Amino acid sequence: MPLWWPLLLSSLLFAIGVYGVLVRRNAVLVLMGVELMLNAVNLNLVAFDAYFRDVLHGGQTFALFVIVIAAAEIGLGLAIVLLVFRTHGQIDVDTMRELADREEPAVAER
Amino acid sequence: MIWVVLLLVLVPFISAGLSLLVGHGGEVAERGIAVGAGALGLALAGVVAFPHLGDATPLAHVFAATTAAGPPIELAFYVDPLSAVLLLLAHTVAFLVQVYSLGYMHGDPRYPSYAALVSLFTGAMTLVVVADDLWVLLVGWELMGACSYFLISHHWELPEARAGAVKAFLMTRTADLGLLFAILVLGLRFDSYRISTVMAAIADGGFGRDDLWLPAVLLTAAVVGKSAQFPLHTWLPDAMPGPTPISALIHAATMVAAGVFLVARTYPLFLSAPAALNVLALVAAVTMLLAAFYALFTSDLKRVLAWSTVSQLAYMFGALAVGAWSAGVLHLLAHGAFKALLFLAAGAVVHAVGSTSMTAMGGLRDKLPDTFLTMSLGFGALAGVVPLVGFFTKDAVIGATWDAALHGRLVWPWLAWLLFASAVVTAVLTVAYSLRAWLMVFLGSPAGADLAEGEVPEIAEAPPSMKVPLYLLALPTALGGLVVVYPEAVLGSGEYHLLHPELGLVMTVLVALTAAVVVRAWRRSGGRDPWRPRVLPQPQVDRVYDVGLVRPVMRLARLARAGDRDVIDAYADGAAAGAWGLGRVLRLAQNGNVQGYLMVVVVGACALAVVAGVVA
Repeated sequence: MPLWWPLLLSSLLFAIGVYGVLVRRNAVLVLMGVELMLNAVNLNLVAFDAYFRDVLHGGQTFALFVIVIAAAEIGLGLAIVLLVFRTHGQIDVDTMRELADREEPAVAER
Repeated sequence: MIWVVLLLVLVPFISAGLSLLVGHGGEVAERGIAVGAGALGLALAGVVAFPHLGDATPLAHVFAATTAAGPPIELAFYVDPLSAVLLLLAHTVAFLVQVYSLGYMHGDPRYPSYAALVSLFTGAMTLVVVADDLWVLLVGWELMGACSYFLISHHWELPEARAGAVKAFLMTRTADLGLLFAILVLGLRFDSYRISTVMAAIADGGFGRDDLWLPAVLLTAAVVGKSAQFPLHTWLPDAMPGPTPISALIHAATMVAAGVFLVARTYPLFLSAPAALNVLALVAAVTMLLAAFYALFTSDLKRVLAWSTVSQLAYMFGALAVGAWSAGVLHLLAHGAFKALLFLAAGAVVHAVGSTSMTAMGGLRDKLPDTFLTMSLGFGALAGVVPLVGFFTKDAVIGATWDAALHGRLVWPWLAWLLFASAVVTAVLTVAYSLRAWLMVFLGSPAGADLAEGEVPEIAEAPPSMKVPLYLLALPTALGGLVVVYPEAVLGSGEYHLLHPELGLVMTVLVALTAAVVVRAWRRSGGRDPWRPRVLPQPQVDRVYDVGLVRPVMRLARLARAGDRDVIDAYADGAAAGAWGLGRVLRLAQNGNVQGYLMVVVVGACALAVVAGVVA
């Protein structure tokens, strides 16, 4: 199997993930985009591991680590989404603008 | 003994600090500290002064000296008869003023700071009087200027009090520059700042006539400002909105007396430089006449007294200018006694009437018997009525100018003649304005006699705390002439030529004639003002200062402010405004849309990757 097949697949997956993160409004779907990007990376790692015939299989091991971290991350992310839903009543990321820099009453001006 | 001198200098300062710290604690504390420190100061002054009157050897001591480059600056004290009499004068008047203020300032919310400043004033004068180092003297000299500023503006609600205080401060401070430069010149010339050393070196001779004219003229400028002589005379009458006891203190014992004291202290310098004496004589001749004319026509009691102070100080300077040291000093002492008495009595009158305008007074003889008695003595002394102290000292001064006019060598003869003529005319005018004030205040029909019953204000004699100082001051006013008859007991043995019987006789006749004329004019006016009060055309000194100094300085200040605001501040403000503007643009990106931020990151990363690919 040539190397560019899995690489093409992982690139597509990553692009879909980026697209999801950037444009989806639903926070859960944003998280899914993140998962897609992580798994695209995993595919990359495994593909290169096989291609280089690594004796220690570092790529596959690393992929396992990424899976674990992804699980933890999604748990945290979903917890945040849950809290956001409880406080705001919806999980539309476009409406969450609390961090915007608003016009303050000018203190430094004389 | 020298430690007593140090203590004497320190007591007023300590009491001033205590008054400010605990004076607000209660009436007993504030009054006790003020009067107690005054009494202690007077006692210490007596201890220091009495052994040094007469022929005693002067006390000189150096406590500390700087060892830096240049002539050393020393904390040195020097007590001779001149210092001794002035210590007595200053502390007596200060103590009596403190006692008097118990009644006069009763219920004043700012009494503690007032009492503290009076103490500080006394301490500064003590420092000037006993200082043997020119810099120490300068410290006391400037402290007095500051204290007078604060005390004149005691009623700082009144705009004229503020203006008078600022005027007094600026004028005396400008003149003080003369003292500063004189100190520097003397220090360079003699390699010492000690007054006794410098004066001994000058008295030893070796200096040509007018060799030292520069420091002498600079000192003259300083004392002209401090003692309110022409052309810097305008601050003293404008200082009248201050409390009346303060006027007594400033006019009798401290501020203006310091100018005369400085000339008397550095007299060898002046004797070696007749140029300065000529200036002094001219200033004195002009001032005494001018001030007497003003006193003649003003209808404000305190202003009459203020102008009379200016005029009498000119007498002292006139005496000093023609070489009559003892006459000048004795007139300073006599004037201190009777002017303090006059101001305190005027304070009692003002206290009772509630106005300083003499048209609001009249017929107070029966209502204020104690004030009437003592103030009559004061006016008599001021006018030079025979047995009172003013007669003797004024006679000594006029006699000195007469001698100088006939065969003096210090000042130009025509100047001595001018001084003599001016002194005689001023003596006549002094009688006229004293008598006018006395008649208008105490005799004649009471003001408000044409008012209906019930509208006439209640007038009552002052409380005892104000009456006792009057009687205490009346004593030296009445008997001080003895000092002129026996000056050796006070100023040490030497040749004195103070009594001029034939001149005294002439002056007495003149006094009597003037009095008759004034009384006649007063009768004719129906017991009111003997002549119409009028605003004399001021010699345009204030106008000259205004055009020549005040306005250019104000213009310069406005220019400096505009430069600061429109040029220097513009840079700082511009930097700030630029940062603000930039921030306002940048904050548009911070809209809170996290996906927007991420988009920037992704696009940026892609762009970087493309750039890296192209470049590499």
